[in-house]
Amino acid sequence: MENTNTIESAVLDVRNISVSFGGVKPVQDVSFSIKENSFTSVIGPNGAGKTSLFNLLSGMNKVSSGEIIFKGEAIQSIHAHKIAQKGLVRTFQGAKVIRRLTVAENLMMAVQGNPGDNLMGFLNPRARKSFETKAREEAMRRLDQVGLTKFADEYAGILSGGQRKLLDLSRALMADPKMLLLDEPFAGVNPTLVEKLLTVLAALRKEQSITFLLIEHDLETVMNISDRVIVMADGKIIADGLPNSIYENDLVIDAYLGSRRKDA
Amino acid sequence: MEAFIQPGFWIFVLALAGIYGVFSLGLQIQYGVGGIMNFGHVGMMAVSGYTIAVLVIKYQWSFWWAALLGVVLAAFLGALLGLTTLRLSGDYFAIASIAFAEIVRYWILNSDDTTGGTQGTLAIPSPEGFASYTGQPDVILNWISERLYPIIGDEASRDLSMVLIVWPFFFLFIWISSRLQKTSWARVLRATREDDDVPRSLGKNVFRFRLQTLIIGSVFGGIAGVFWAVQFALLAPEDFLRIVTFYGWMILILAGSTRVKGLFVAAIFFGFLYGATRFLEFWPLSLLSSPERAYLRVFLIGLVIVLLMVKRPQGLFGKRQEMILE
Repeated sequence: MENTNTIESAVLDVRNISVSFGGVKPVQDVSFSIKENSFTSVIGPNGAGKTSLFNLLSGMNKVSSGEIIFKGEAIQSIHAHKIAQKGLVRTFQGAKVIRRLTVAENLMMAVQGNPGDNLMGFLNPRARKSFETKAREEAMRRLDQVGLTKFADEYAGILSGGQRKLLDLSRALMADPKMLLLDEPFAGVNPTLVEKLLTVLAALRKEQSITFLLIEHDLETVMNISDRVIVMADGKIIADGLPNSIYENDLVIDAYLGSRRKDA
Repeated sequence: MEAFIQPGFWIFVLALAGIYGVFSLGLQIQYGVGGIMNFGHVGMMAVSGYTIAVLVIKYQWSFWWAALLGVVLAAFLGALLGLTTLRLSGDYFAIASIAFAEIVRYWILNSDDTTGGTQGTLAIPSPEGFASYTGQPDVILNWISERLYPIIGDEASRDLSMVLIVWPFFFLFIWISSRLQKTSWARVLRATREDDDVPRSLGKNVFRFRLQTLIIGSVFGGIAGVFWAVQFALLAPEDFLRIVTFYGWMILILAGSTRVKGLFVAAIFFGFLYGATRFLEFWPLSLLSSPERAYLRVFLIGLVIVLLMVKRPQGLFGKRQEMILE
């Protein structure tokens, strides 16, 4: 394991977390540590517990036991919105957009520290407006990055599946994340767009030093961009290491990627 | 049918429309912006109305302080309703809110010594033996009537004075509410209308936004209760049946729940439907007695809601596109 000496620079430290819903145990005794500005992919078959893990990290569900340390602070029992405010931001499987807000509004609602989000801010229209102008500018910049500028003032509900993925990612970025949890950002996206998304992610990592943790079904898609791959099955981590080493791991191949190998 | 050419009829319709309009403003921000299905809104109106009646008649409070406390209590009950049940999602909250309004009504019905019980506020025990609470607002209403009498003669009624007071407030509240709905606060609220997880994942405390909305709506409900109490000068438990909440919903659906500015048109239409049916004297309705015809409004209002849902779900002023986005 490579993460023996990295606790110092760990942005996220997951210690023995488990969750159970009745008799079902989607995540069992999972531990790992994520280095700052790294790119880690979590792979595994359906029902492996990947999204359940994200739900725990983002505070949407609470752990039954264990600790989650983000930037040196235990976050396993604080509210989801507070975790997001601390800079640990997630996206959702299948790209959730707010359909009846415009594309630009979808982005603008993500900005942190907006005085207009507070009812008291209603009494200070000047502060609200200047913040709003800035938020709009940033939104337009983000839309330009992903080529959605022309949809800025359309309802997000008219976007196609792929465009929603782009919007979802841009929106998470608007929230000024320190670390991004991306839940299957490439599922159902055509290969050209996957390439584009990968380029965007690589650029973000470089320019804004964001740490990435990403869920993906397909190892090959994230082979090149990932520093490290964590393989989950039945709620447990069964392999953890460099992408190439995972590719050669017999356990992984036999149990989870076996059918793919035959195809290839 | 000659009733419809009497100014008095239309003035009554406007007075009613103004009060119900303020009432439905509360539902508009709760449902149209926040997606909160409140079917117990009438409870807020009952609380503020009865607070005034009890405090003024039984304890000789000033009407104005009693009205203020009535609205504060409505807001407080909105908060209480929210804190206890707002974590329920959609339909379940709707059921709980009906129960809430019924609790308020049954409490009023059964607290004879305080509220006058089934007999209404006339039966509230008063040290002065005179169960009226509108003395102070009546001074103002009379003052307006007296100024208007030289100009328009007998049309200078109490109803007209009410219209002249209620409608400026109604427009002021529409303006405030529409300003509020342009803020980023309302943008987050609109997001919570569709989805909890997205705003939560972006650092927004969804529960706080919903609770604030419920309280703001309850304040509108409470203010409507103050106007109602003055307009009718006596209150009874059956004034606050569930149907009253749905009158507010009809106005909202008619206007289009997401557009606050069209609310006053829908309120006038409702006021007309509410006041007009008893005067529809043509055959075959002439076979019914006047009170029986009055009840036609319940059928008509139901029919209007059904037709709107089928033909124009976005209401008169809403955007159709908003209704059909998947």
